[in-house]
Amino acid sequence: MFSLALKEIRFFKLKYSLIAFILFLMASLVFIVSGLAQGLSNDNIAALEDMSVARFYLQEDAENRLDQSGYIIDELEEEIPREAGWQPLLTQMYRLDAASSETLLDVTLIPIDPEAFLYPGVIEGQNLTDSDALEIVADQTMKADGVEIGDTLYEADQDLTFTVVGFTENQTYRHSPIIYVAESAFYNLDLTPHQVANAIVIEEVNQELQADINQVLNDGDWVEKDAIIQAVPGHSSEQMSLMMMIAFLIVIAVFVLAAFFYILTIQKLNQFGVLKAIGAKNIFLVGATLLQVFCLTMISLILATGFTIFVSNILPEGMPFEFDLSLIASYSIIILIVSLLGSLLSSTRIVKVDPQQAMGRTE
Amino acid sequence: MITAPLALENVTKAFKDGEQYINILEDISFTAEKGKFTAVIGPSGSGKSTFLSIAGALLTPDQGEVFVNSQSIASYKDKKLANVRLTSIGYIFQAANLVPYLKVNEQLKLVAQMKGDWDREAKQRLGQLLESVGLKARVNYYPHQLSGGEKQRVAIARAFMNNPDIILADEPTANLDQARSDEIVALMAKEVKEKDKAAVMVTHDESLLKYCDTVYRMEQGKLIKGR
Repeated sequence: MFSLALKEIRFFKLKYSLIAFILFLMASLVFIVSGLAQGLSNDNIAALEDMSVARFYLQEDAENRLDQSGYIIDELEEEIPREAGWQPLLTQMYRLDAASSETLLDVTLIPIDPEAFLYPGVIEGQNLTDSDALEIVADQTMKADGVEIGDTLYEADQDLTFTVVGFTENQTYRHSPIIYVAESAFYNLDLTPHQVANAIVIEEVNQELQADINQVLNDGDWVEKDAIIQAVPGHSSEQMSLMMMIAFLIVIAVFVLAAFFYILTIQKLNQFGVLKAIGAKNIFLVGATLLQVFCLTMISLILATGFTIFVSNILPEGMPFEFDLSLIASYSIIILIVSLLGSLLSSTRIVKVDPQQAMGRTE
Repeated sequence: MITAPLALENVTKAFKDGEQYINILEDISFTAEKGKFTAVIGPSGSGKSTFLSIAGALLTPDQGEVFVNSQSIASYKDKKLANVRLTSIGYIFQAANLVPYLKVNEQLKLVAQMKGDWDREAKQRLGQLLESVGLKARVNYYPHQLSGGEKQRVAIARAFMNNPDIILADEPTANLDQARSDEIVALMAKEVKEKDKAAVMVTHDESLLKYCDTVYRMEQGKLIKGR
């Protein structure tokens, strides 16, 4: 069965490599679009996904959007100490001027307690400290804009100058890098007379604490991280359109493959009849066909993976493309399974072939 | 007890033609003995191919019994019939019907592999068979590189590969010229005698009957002994 399948591919090299080539292109496109979807998703919500937060407390009419919710938390600070397990989450959009970049850089500023669970830690440079100096740690994607440790970033509206002391990873939110600044330094600027937050976050589910906080603020709901992620503007529409492309690509790939094999099978019906006449069983012939589909699909998937690695290397830096081998592996498995299912269409034809047609037939 | 490798008893087969049924085969009884080369001749449409299909476990009769190696196969289902064909019957078709993407030796190897006994002994048999049909030098040729006669010789070797007791040939010389036809049928006769097989050949070429031991004529669904 195995040798029959492979020998046919070996003999009809051109025919089968054309099929494999089409499948390769389709699979490459699936991988690249999925890499793009992953990259865009990361750009948009990586920081949220990475955050070790179980529940967010937002205003009821904020529709789960952090930027639509806001609290003054002076009273909360007095009533419930942060040691109980909560942290304020405040996001601010800024446009910063860097010496290395001609355009202003969009960033999300998050004031943070460097000792608390919200702080992600650095992968390069120094960690934040509880000082009054305007030191920041920035997401490493800012390196693509030429930002280096020790650089200063200038904010024109408030006349602020930030110094980069370290880099974090996976800290992007709404397609912009996050810069973290120590809370002490932020409030030292006196930009607001009150302590403010978009949301209150807790690291672990704690009914008692949640009830207490609700009691104090008395305007909001506790929501899960997933709901927050889905409500990030653009996220679900971006992902859904890309996922739809991927789904269609897979369906198209399968139909192309199934159609090719169906036509090949019809061309070979006489041959199958002869093989059946000399004693081949259905399972032998169907097995050989499925094996061919399996081999062609595997070869195409391996080549497509290689091609995707190549593409991810030549894409310009800063392009939201994420090469994720486990993602590619799972799409590969899906493509493999559906192509085998697609080739079952040909199998029904093989099973129906009557061996008697081998009699009285000229070539 | 039936001792002949192949026996048909009172076989009837009808096909539907429009509204009515037409008896293609009417009450046919036939046996093929070991070492005997039998020919069946007759005009086209006389039922020769249907006869061969039933004898070859490709069709089941409407009535009557078919015995292959004293097993009654008339009631067998597809899978069991395939097994009978694989192990007990060797076919030679009108066209060689070789698998286009297999080399000559792989054509023979395939049937042994389908039977599941590709071993040293089968390998030897393959060598001997190709030797005796005179294709030793063509082992690594594809069918498209062979002449019509050579292809038919590969088909003969393939029919003998699984060492079946019965050899069935359906107009094996239809695509060949007279000289080649003689050559091929002489070769078949030689192999049948040497290997002691029961062979049945359907043909319309009466000049080939000199190679056969017994001749039957098919006429309007009846099988009549003699020319």
